[in-house]
Amino acid sequence: MSADDAPEATDATACGYTEYVDGEVPEGFPKTGVGAAGVEADIWDALYEIEDPEMPVSIVDLGLIYDVRVVEREGEDGEAKTLGIVEMTLTYTGCPARDYLENDVRCAILSAGVDEASVRLRFTPEWTVDMVTEAGREALREFGLGV
Amino acid sequence: MPDALNPEDLDAEQRAALEELLFRLADDEYVHGERLIEWQIYAPTLESDLALANVAQDEFGHARLWYDLLEELSHTEAELIWERPADEFRHATLVELPFAEGDWADVVLRSYLYDAAERLRLDALVDTSYAPLADRVGKVLSEERYHLENAQSWLDRLAEGDSRDRVQDALDRLFPHALSLFVEPDHEDAIVDNGFRTMSTADLRIEWLETVIPYLESLGLDVPEPDEVERPSARGRDGTHTDHWDELAAEFRRTYEELEAPEPARIGGERV
Repeated sequence: MSADDAPEATDATACGYTEYVDGEVPEGFPKTGVGAAGVEADIWDALYEIEDPEMPVSIVDLGLIYDVRVVEREGEDGEAKTLGIVEMTLTYTGCPARDYLENDVRCAILSAGVDEASVRLRFTPEWTVDMVTEAGREALREFGLGV
Repeated sequence: MPDALNPEDLDAEQRAALEELLFRLADDEYVHGERLIEWQIYAPTLESDLALANVAQDEFGHARLWYDLLEELSHTEAELIWERPADEFRHATLVELPFAEGDWADVVLRSYLYDAAERLRLDALVDTSYAPLADRVGKVLSEERYHLENAQSWLDRLAEGDSRDRVQDALDRLFPHALSLFVEPDHEDAIVDNGFRTMSTADLRIEWLETVIPYLESLGLDVPEPDEVERPSARGRDGTHTDHWDELAAEFRRTYEELEAPEPARIGGERV
């Protein structure tokens, strides 16, 4: 068929009620652990191993991790302790896998060899599908979901 | 504008004020969700079954976010939901009432009245001085938008033809309870002076009336005169509730009590 017969592109979107279509990626997001070193890098590596409960894509590539840091603080026994902190978000507030995900993340932090772990939820900036990394998009395409 | 506050910055008065605000937010969402799911298998189309389940899921999600903030202030989930005396819940009576039997108009109208108020209340929290609350409001507002659209799209349809009488009945029945959404908190001055909420409850009430009355009238409904409505003796906000609340509270706690305070499920458990 000639170019003249080609159907016109429409600006229709899949579903007007998902927030997945638009949304700007805020400066500095998604966080991927680039440039992290030492124990923090080890935590990032462990986080990459955690997959979303519904899709075979890591929660880092989904863009859910907002910060990873390790701090030292004094424990109850007066000894210095290392505390691994991960700040993360959820795709939506009613996520029924929240406890599981938080537990997986806590385990990932501890697996890097810190004394204590803290998982903190953040909802600013709001997660959008645009925060999925290139690797995440590739994994989702293989799964059959184009984003 | 007051400086941003975190849990460790709060004095006793600020904490009491903030807790009152959070209990209202959390309890409203939780109880509204509890009632909505009763309708999940009765909605008139498969799509509306799903929409209703989805809205209820959001409400539980939001309740959890607000209860989280109370947990940060040293409460536990057991104290907040499962073991709190029923007369210490602070939700408005609107959300605790059982639905009139088989009456979809009741579900839709109640959702509209509630969601319109919820939108305004959240708007007044976007610039809250309490940092952990500010972090969460935007996300919740984004999810609430669809709830209001869903309720209005059904109201528009129900207000045409014979079903309008049912909507009118529901309005006459529910409007007095909806007004209880705007009972002034005990700590209103501290809530506003500390910038926890950037609009007064009285102004929120005016804005809500100016939103819902013209819309409902445009559908051909008669809205009761707010200041002349006979108000129910139970206000919800002060811990007084209708008898229906005791029944609902006993129902939603039954399994918790049978299982003797279960810990949340952990798939895989602690693997380290």
